[in-house]
Amino acid sequence: MPGLLSSPVCLTVIWFLSWSLRPSCAQIQSDEVLDIQYGHLESNVTLACGQSQIRTTVVWRHNQSSVLPWHTVTSDGRLVLLHVDHSAQGHYSCYDDRGLLLHSISLRLGYPPGLLSVSCQVPNHTLVRCSWEESVRTFLPAQYDVSYRGNGHEWRPCVVDVARRRCDIDHPSFWQTIHTMRVTETNALGSETTYVRFKLHELLKPDPPESVLVKELQGYPRRLVVSWSFPSSWPQHDAFPLLFHIRYKPQGSMYWSEIFSKESPAVIFDALAGHFHHIQIRARDDVNSDSQWSEWTLSSPAKPWEVFTTPEPEEEEFFTDDVVVSITKPETSTAKTYNPEFEDEGNLGLVILLVLFSVVILTTVLSLIFVVWVRQRRRDHVTKQELTSMVKMKSMPI
Amino acid sequence: MTLTLDSSAKSGAIVYVMVQYLPLSADSLLLDSSSSLLFSLLLAQLPVFTLASPVPQRRPSDMDKLSNQTKNLMKLTQDLLREHAFDSDVEPHRFRSLPEMSNRSANDLSNLELKPTLSQLHADLKLYEHHFEWLNKVSKKHHHPAVPKLVEMIREMKSLINLLHRQMLRVEAPRLPPATPSLPPHLTYQFDVLQSSHELLQHFKLFCDWAYRAFLTLKPKASAVQ
Repeated sequence: MPGLLSSPVCLTVIWFLSWSLRPSCAQIQSDEVLDIQYGHLESNVTLACGQSQIRTTVVWRHNQSSVLPWHTVTSDGRLVLLHVDHSAQGHYSCYDDRGLLLHSISLRLGYPPGLLSVSCQVPNHTLVRCSWEESVRTFLPAQYDVSYRGNGHEWRPCVVDVARRRCDIDHPSFWQTIHTMRVTETNALGSETTYVRFKLHELLKPDPPESVLVKELQGYPRRLVVSWSFPSSWPQHDAFPLLFHIRYKPQGSMYWSEIFSKESPAVIFDALAGHFHHIQIRARDDVNSDSQWSEWTLSSPAKPWEVFTTPEPEEEEFFTDDVVVSITKPETSTAKTYNPEFEDEGNLGLVILLVLFSVVILTTVLSLIFVVWVRQRRRDHVTKQELTSMVKMKSMPI
Repeated sequence: MTLTLDSSAKSGAIVYVMVQYLPLSADSLLLDSSSSLLFSLLLAQLPVFTLASPVPQRRPSDMDKLSNQTKNLMKLTQDLLREHAFDSDVEPHRFRSLPEMSNRSANDLSNLELKPTLSQLHADLKLYEHHFEWLNKVSKKHHHPAVPKLVEMIREMKSLINLLHRQMLRVEAPRLPPATPSLPPHLTYQFDVLQSSHELLQHFKLFCDWAYRAFLTLKPKASAVQ
């Protein structure tokens, strides 16, 4: 027997039989795997039972069930699904009257692409990240072709991340007035191109500052030292200075005070003694005032140094910061006492000014007194001389 | 001879008498009530003036002057754009000979060379000067309200060009041959003037932005040369 099976004639017969039987089964299998049909939701969809014209009656099944969505079957065996909705999606199979599988189709329903809603983020001068959302949900897989160009220049491709529906432009020509982006969405039902125009210099919005740290300043119950670092996405280069906006308020207060600074650290001079404060920082490109402020950092709580029995040390400037102070809320200045609640050591300048003013007044008064005294002395002297002359005159013989 | 002295005599008279009877000394100066008062006040003011005057400031370098003047121009441009807002995303692209900005990227700013950059900026500014002078002429014809500010801008631009030229001479940067501007034909309508003005200002604002950053970058290099 093994000898018979291995004979060339028998092998040829087996090969011929397998070759002649293969197509019918394989066709169905490949159809089952490959034949995906896409249809437009809310319209009529026609499914054909294979390629050949079928003259016998066919039976259609939907996901192995004989219950079909609203439909009709044409005389040539085509299944027409009427005004389809999502429930009509799935696996369709047609069988002949003997129950033999003739054809299988996977039906996916959706819409052709519509215009996209494209938005771009510009976290620094070297990166533009654009992402998009469908204005019409298509329910179908899509491909995107994205390109961009500066005003009056050629189109350049933008590398697409399909899964995240976004593309990145590295090192754009930033100093051009207008850029145009072209996003073409293509799915099985059609294609649509969306054009967007944007101004990079207006979209520029840094990431928030990082490593925010708020510390008390030993010996100063109304000061807080705020330090931070540049956003890591921002280039650390002289050409790209940032302006920082710091806002702070005592816990429970509704009103923010604010200061602006170009460098870290900055000192808050008018914190409310003995109270916790919330401090936040944001950043903006210092050169381009049309650009946007970053988001605020998370609130950093901090409390100024508290006085117990230690007297305040001599006023010394620890920081030579170039902070531009602009307090939105008018500060209520209080007399300087040892009571930590009312200690007003923040207004050193004012105190110096008052002292100087007192010195001026005192000097003026002293000068006046001196002048009056000199005048009086002079008058006495003159009177004395007058008297002497009179005496002399009296003693003179007439 | 009787010498009488009126007690109600004015200070001038008193001073006269004092001068007559006192020897000339340092005291005699103090006797003048008005001058002594003034002297005391001045003395008292001395510490105030000392404190009020800022710490002897570092003289701004030429590059500082250049960057400050550029910032000033940028502000003027922004003011003009704001005051004569013309909201349009579509630019007519009338000016074909404006300095090319598409080839300037952020990375280039890190690798700028002093002399070629100064020369290029000078040539660019001269080109803008031509364009703005043209715009000024056209705006005058159409009685555009932006004319006074445009005149001020051109003046500031010339000042920046002069500063830059001085700096170029100092570092021996060559002067590039002037480019020929291709200006649009005569503008018939007020709308065309508005559009052109908007386009030119938008371009110039971005140019100033780049130029300012370039001056910031070049500052250490310029100090090293001088």
